[in-house]
Amino acid sequence: MLVRLVLHHPYPQAFLQMCNLPIKVVCRSNAEYMSPSGKVPFIHVGNQVVSELGPIVQFVKAKGHSLSDGLDEVQKAEMKAYMELVNNMLLTAELYLQWCDEATVREITYARYGSPYPWPLNHVLAYQKQWEIKRKMKAIGWGSKTLDQVLEDVDQCCQALSQRLGTQPYFFNKQPTELDALVFGHLYTILTTTDELSEKVKNYSNLLAFCRRIEQHYFEDHARGGISVRLS
Amino acid sequence: MAAPLELSCWGGGWGLPSVHSDSLVVLAYAKFSGAPLKVNVIDNTWRGSRGDVPILTTEDSTVSQPAKILNFLRKQKYNADYYLSAKQGADTLAYIALLEEKLLPAVLHTFWVESDNYFTVTKPWFASQIPFPLNLILPGRMSKGALNRILLTKGAPPLYHLQEVEAQIYRDAKECLNLLSKRLGTSQFFFGDTPSTLDAYVFGFLAPLYKVHFPKVQLQEHLKQLSNLCHFCDDILSSYFRLNLTDG
Repeated sequence: MLVRLVLHHPYPQAFLQMCNLPIKVVCRSNAEYMSPSGKVPFIHVGNQVVSELGPIVQFVKAKGHSLSDGLDEVQKAEMKAYMELVNNMLLTAELYLQWCDEATVREITYARYGSPYPWPLNHVLAYQKQWEIKRKMKAIGWGSKTLDQVLEDVDQCCQALSQRLGTQPYFFNKQPTELDALVFGHLYTILTTTDELSEKVKNYSNLLAFCRRIEQHYFEDHARGGISVRLS
Repeated sequence: MAAPLELSCWGGGWGLPSVHSDSLVVLAYAKFSGAPLKVNVIDNTWRGSRGDVPILTTEDSTVSQPAKILNFLRKQKYNADYYLSAKQGADTLAYIALLEEKLLPAVLHTFWVESDNYFTVTKPWFASQIPFPLNLILPGRMSKGALNRILLTKGAPPLYHLQEVEAQIYRDAKECLNLLSKRLGTSQFFFGDTPSTLDAYVFGFLAPLYKVHFPKVQLQEHLKQLSNLCHFCDDILSSYFRLNLTDG
């Protein structure tokens, strides 16, 4: 099946390529509105549209492709726990940096988020999104965190990931799983966009090697096979 | 270690030293790590108006939120994770994240949002612990905070309505309980023979769900089927909280 992938994030692309599925990546500014659930990323397969990471994984699994079949029950539990850790710490930290750190918001985020729209819509939408994110941060107790505390949390998370990975090629040894795709997606985003967060990640050499390995193996090798977007 | 450590937290009932998850996590950790805490149960003399309990008070500082309190205790050399390997430490963080993302919303819902439970059990209990007029305000505020947290983290299109969010969070919670049960297996604690931070967190989240008598009990019923998790809670209660008093 040819999968059209509309995204803001490299995780699902990594996951789909790990499953050896031929994909075409499309970046759209109105992706959030095209999606049936209002969330990116989503995939377009034939005449079906599936949005968000969890359901995408389930959908791909139902079509006969899964990465975690070889794991036993305890390992699956561990994998799910680590995926939550990544969502809890890294994703929240990324959102914090994008939307709650005044310097980044002013210089980068507002412009990027509002750019497809004319004035004053660009300001209104960006401001609304920022307000939404700040509310959520407050509800989960991140509202009063300083940038330093957020960076410390990221460091703790990276340390945990680094310890769990150790010297193995992937988190569950020889074969990549959803966790590897998720970690790659987040670390890649961090390394290519933000300064402070990427400094923290760079302290862990096995995580850097892990990202490079996945990028080389799955993205550069597949570039010949008709993927229309290259991550460089 | 010379300075007295005082913990303000919510009191107990139904055989528990505290019915409040966060408070219970700290109490359990203190028992596991041997930290000498003077426990001040919130009662009619309490003058704090903010809901961020438990609070640890030392001579020169106050610390709130379980994660920060546990960090503080560890720095004071009360470390229940001393014997854990680096990988086990990493696993601890991951499982705590799992608990907070997948189990906590449903626990909050069971206590604070589900109307039968909230109005017949939770609200009267909490209101009875604090002085007037705080007892008219604080429970409502805690309930709103819980609902807010659930909706902001779990409710997004197309799950705008609470009923759809409810179905999802209970599904997630049941799956989380199953995963915990599989991970625990037949061991007494999650990492070997001595309890650690993860055991404190799991105990803190599960014990109130297990013991408090609610009218609407779907998650409790599910938990009771996972006998190893129930034994886990009962063992900790009988080994570490036998007196069930505020004796630190």
